[in-house]
Amino acid sequence: MSELSATHFLLLSAALFIIGMVGVLTRRNVLVIFMCIELMLNAVNVSLIGFAWELHQLTGQVFALFVIAIAAAEAVVGLGIVMALTRRADTVDIDELRQLRE
Amino acid sequence: MPLRLVAPEWSLLVPPLIVLGTIVLLLAIDAVSERTARRFALPLALAGQLLALGSLASIDWGQGATTFGVSYRADWFALVVSLIALVAGILSVLVSAGYTESGLEPGVGLAEYLALLLFSVLGTMVVGAAGDFLVLLLGLEMSAVAVYALTAFARRRLTSVEGALKYFLLGAFASAILIYGMAWIYGLTGSIKLSDIAYTLRTVVIPGQPVDPALLLALLLLAVGLGFKIAAVPFHMWTPDAYQGAPTPVSAYMSVVPKVAGFAAVARILVQGLQPLSDQWAGLLALLALVTMVYGNVVAIAQRDLKRMLGYSAIGHTGYMLAGLAAFTTGLAGDRSVGSVLFYLFAYTFMNIGAFGVIAWLQERGLGTTLDDVAGLAGRAPLAALTMAIFMLSLMGMPPLLGFYAKYYVILALIEAGQLWLAVAIVVMSAVSASFYLRVITQMYFQEPGGTWRPVRTPLLGLGLAVMAAATLALGLVSGPILELAQRWPAALT
Repeated sequence: MSELSATHFLLLSAALFIIGMVGVLTRRNVLVIFMCIELMLNAVNVSLIGFAWELHQLTGQVFALFVIAIAAAEAVVGLGIVMALTRRADTVDIDELRQLRE
Repeated sequence: MPLRLVAPEWSLLVPPLIVLGTIVLLLAIDAVSERTARRFALPLALAGQLLALGSLASIDWGQGATTFGVSYRADWFALVVSLIALVAGILSVLVSAGYTESGLEPGVGLAEYLALLLFSVLGTMVVGAAGDFLVLLLGLEMSAVAVYALTAFARRRLTSVEGALKYFLLGAFASAILIYGMAWIYGLTGSIKLSDIAYTLRTVVIPGQPVDPALLLALLLLAVGLGFKIAAVPFHMWTPDAYQGAPTPVSAYMSVVPKVAGFAAVARILVQGLQPLSDQWAGLLALLALVTMVYGNVVAIAQRDLKRMLGYSAIGHTGYMLAGLAAFTTGLAGDRSVGSVLFYLFAYTFMNIGAFGVIAWLQERGLGTTLDDVAGLAGRAPLAALTMAIFMLSLMGMPPLLGFYAKYYVILALIEAGQLWLAVAIVVMSAVSASFYLRVITQMYFQEPGGTWRPVRTPLLGLGLAVMAAATLALGLVSGPILELAQRWPAALT
């Protein structure tokens, strides 16, 4: 068994980030898209902590804490918008939202 | 290493703290009673921002003082961004006056609306003053998340919610990409401080030698994330929907202030932090600028809805501003690139909030937002038609209006940097843009009016429009001091 290195963190992070990104681009359900964005943000946190570990610094870990706070703030507003949407339109499919066209 | 705590230099933080105090007061009077809020919220929001604007004079910006380590910088760049954000905030509150008086549903607070708007202004000021990635990111998110909520403010109208949803999803997606880019820069340079990043990169990047591919990947991630924030093609998809769906005063606001935050972030990250990589990003920005200005102006021609048309026109203006950044040469005194963009943002504030303001003025009088609704406006309301004509001509770049000077300085910067082809592109695209800006004017002056007209009084909105029309007419002729202030950026960013 070889020891864990920063490369392991970065590979995990890149894999999670790409899974999230593909999800955002291919899924049509608003909530699933939102979950994929959360996955991307958490992938970034893994990177930040991996780098901080490699650099023997706390900066990256503190940054990750702030990213978690930002993700929470976005979730509050985003889920509020989704609530307003389901009350009006009774759908969470992004393709069915096409009121705004010329 | 023992932990050492240093008290921040509070005097540098006075302007943002005044805005924060105003927000707290707004939320407090909202909690007292709805009647108090309706009476005092608007004057309070205006007074708070005017006070913050005045307090900008209390700081000696030339020193480039920093506090919280180097995380918060009070330099020339921060001053100009704060100035634009506060002016745009004040004008947006005036434009919102009509909407908030008549358009709000019961139970949806005026004070909440203004508090969200001021949060976004505060975030933009913080981006301008950011000295590291963390402060910059927090400011950028504060400026954006508040506007997601504002876009959905007419929550009973599906289009408003739809625009907000698309804006939110793409904005959050872009943030994730941007933060990933920041994480890689942090990992490769070992710091999130912009000045340290520039210092480290200078030792790593040697001109003429191939650059570490990981660094290029990080640069690409940052460029994509920031591209969404400023609505550059091909990351613009949210813009027309969000502008059309949002309540018109919010469209006015979001067409300017989040864009100021976005461009301030681009300048802080690319021009200050990643300056040693300027050979790589300047070419990328030039390409984005060309695609963005062509796409925005060409697609705007086909629009019937004025808010949507202004959305595409805003994409075109993003292209012009990106061209200004692409004119970056040395970053030393005499480099006009970032200064020309700051001046453009200043000019854009008046003419774009003004154009949306006239649409809001029409909506107060029972009209819609399409080209047919402005038909014959000159006969019904000559002053409003004249005001709209001034904004349209200025957005087009007609001399001697403010918009002409904005384009002129960008073109000048491009010529000095030897990027003639982008300067030519701006001139050609301005000619293309004439087709849709002038169509609004012909509709107003040479068509018969239709629809129902409901005369109402909107004094504050009228005052705001008068101020913006006067500024658009006259500020171009006395643009010297503002331009001089904007051109001091090399002292701040390099």
